[in-house]
Amino acid sequence: MAFVLPGQEVPAKHVNLKLGPGLLQQSNYTTSEDSESTVISTKAGTLQHSGNRSKWWVEGNAKRYVPAPQESVIGAVTQRMGEGYRVDIGSAHQASLDALAFEGATKRNKPNLKVGSLIYARVSLAHKDMEPELECFDAQSRKSEGYGELKGGFVVSCSLKMCRDLLDPKHFLLPLLGGRFPFESAVGMNGRVWANAKEIKQTIAIVRCIEAVDPDGGGMDANAAKAFLQTLDL
Amino acid sequence: MGSRIEILNEAGFRSDGRRQHELRDLNIDLSRHGEADGSALISHGLTQVLVSVHGPREAKMRSHTFHDRANINVEVTVASFSTGERRKRLRGDKRILEFAATIKATFEPVIRTSLYPRSQIDIYIQVLQQDGGTLQTCINGTTLALINAGIPMTDFVCAISGGVHSTSPMLDLTTLEENDIPHVTVAVMPKAKKVVLVTMETRLHVDRFEEILNLARDAGSILHREMKEAVLNRSISLVSTAGPAQLREKGEDDMNVDY
Amino acid sequence: MRPPSPSIPEKEFTYGALKQNIRLDGRIPLEMRSPTITFGPELGWVECALGKTRVIAYVEGKMVKPTPERPFEGIITIHSEISPMASSEYETGRPSEEEVTITRMLDKAIKRSDAVDKESLCISAGQRVWHIRLTVHFLTDGGNMLDCACLAGIIALRHFRRPEVEVIGEDEVIHSPLERAPVPLAIHHSPYCFTFAFFPDSETSPVLDPSQLEQRLSAGLMSIALNAQKEICVLQKLGGVPQDTDEILRLVKVAVAQAKDLSDLVDAKLREDWEWRRSKVEVI
Repeated sequence: MAFVLPGQEVPAKHVNLKLGPGLLQQSNYTTSEDSESTVISTKAGTLQHSGNRSKWWVEGNAKRYVPAPQESVIGAVTQRMGEGYRVDIGSAHQASLDALAFEGATKRNKPNLKVGSLIYARVSLAHKDMEPELECFDAQSRKSEGYGELKGGFVVSCSLKMCRDLLDPKHFLLPLLGGRFPFESAVGMNGRVWANAKEIKQTIAIVRCIEAVDPDGGGMDANAAKAFLQTLDL
Repeated sequence: MGSRIEILNEAGFRSDGRRQHELRDLNIDLSRHGEADGSALISHGLTQVLVSVHGPREAKMRSHTFHDRANINVEVTVASFSTGERRKRLRGDKRILEFAATIKATFEPVIRTSLYPRSQIDIYIQVLQQDGGTLQTCINGTTLALINAGIPMTDFVCAISGGVHSTSPMLDLTTLEENDIPHVTVAVMPKAKKVVLVTMETRLHVDRFEEILNLARDAGSILHREMKEAVLNRSISLVSTAGPAQLREKGEDDMNVDY
Repeated sequence: MRPPSPSIPEKEFTYGALKQNIRLDGRIPLEMRSPTITFGPELGWVECALGKTRVIAYVEGKMVKPTPERPFEGIITIHSEISPMASSEYETGRPSEEEVTITRMLDKAIKRSDAVDKESLCISAGQRVWHIRLTVHFLTDGGNMLDCACLAGIIALRHFRRPEVEVIGEDEVIHSPLERAPVPLAIHHSPYCFTFAFFPDSETSPVLDPSQLEQRLSAGLMSIALNAQKEICVLQKLGGVPQDTDEILRLVKVAVAQAKDLSDLVDAKLREDWEWRRSKVEVI
């Protein structure tokens, strides 16, 4: 794992090379051998690769979300349209969500979301020339798989790195909080985390801990977060 | 320039012959005015304002609409001949914009905007003459124009200005007095006895402020009485002009109806 | 672009918490975020932060001809524009309603309340006066930019020093700071601004120094600018939820107490910075 800056050459070589976000393959015009090409990074961040070194990507920290297919996101409904909803997921464009993309939804029986409702959904289509599309069910099994409207609770905005960290089962924060009190949470890849506990104070504690641990905010480590949690009135 | 004029003389009279707590003449004309759905011409002494209300109607700009309530749009124009010194005020003047924003915010909690989602209520205010208390006149005029237009409101909004000369509080200030002493404008909802707007721009001690705030609140209910009467008179005159015609028509249709 | 309003769960949660007198950042309702004040290398440059809200104020002086109406008075101008840097909801060009309110309120609190003595800015009557220009830059909007801007503005004015000017016959001699110590502006009083937010539910108590979310969900603000001498300079409650006069007076009292504390803090900070600067001079 190395830190790279934009324009830096990356030693990514594999017969079946796949490049993820933040990497670009360039052909070398300067050398006479045409087949030679180099890979450079286009973003600042840590360089990551898969076990067999075939997949490479750069992991950075940003606040702006760029939709990618199959990612879970949290969004708020901003407009109701005839056949669906427009949802703000924090990306450059608003996403569209079909009213039929819910578990058990039929032409007759559609979920009724209000403007301002929060939803947990999966990006089903993300193309740079098109508006992103969301779905609240698994297209194969037609089951909700946990997606749908989020009722109650609170949503906190954080950096994209924080979201990825929270999705990592080895990250300390959610287990630490879960050890203190039970709560529900949904982590969107778009820099939003929804949490709901029984008591308002507990939900606030979750929100404040996430903000404190966020590398873009307080940047606390496990011990500091533990101490911080002690100071909160629960 | 104001220092030569005695704000309050020893006998307790002000420069225009009023007592400390005396209000100026209030004139209200609610007759129909052009295309407007409701209008009011109101004057507090020499300050005169014409307010016309249009709406609720479809908004000209769709981006200005709200999905759950009506948008209130206030535009204020100050006639260049309204003050002693002739002065052209541009529409983009920050002072005017603030003035309009103030009036908008004052009426937002009073008008039942949630009854008209995705529509717009336009309030056009033309200040014709200024002699102190422009804001109070605009607010009172807007209340009356809105009532005249039949827009549902939870209460009247009555505004009054007040000031403190050394330690004696006064009400309904003229320009002369406004230039010289700290002044407050207060808008109250007389039925609920609550204050919608308070604005003060000059330095005043906390204790004096308390005094003037309470006094202005009481003065608001006096204004309320006057304004209510004006609305009633207008209704009576409307009924009396429309009444006989209606009676005749009805009378031909059904002789037994008892009026 | 108008940002989407807070989602329903966010709204309900915040209202619910406020009803129990709990705020999202752990403050009690009538508690202010403690300000962070940073002085720049130059005199009259100050950065002020209230939580996430950050504002820079900068004061500069220049000598100009006075206006014919007021030949004995210096000129003070306040420039403030909320750039899109603070938050994506602000655009350059057409000022938003909030921006108009902030600009006007700054003008009233600092300029019209005569915080700075204008006559002492006169160099020679009708010929030369100081033009003091206060520029306020809004860096981040984390709610309640007005209080932060007002605080930054007044600190910057108190921090600023202008070079001494002497009139000898017809000429004006400007003494460089190395010759004679630059002089501070004559400040009559320091007004501090406090903003309270009211909420639609009348049982929810108002909060002091609202955060961005609280400000968005509020149904009316009341700003009070006052000094440590218990004089209200500006009081502004422009519409919003109707309130009892007693409630307004209660909040005024809260502001009075806050002004005292804030004034002590500012005095201490300015003294600290001055001591630090003095120690630097001695070293050289």
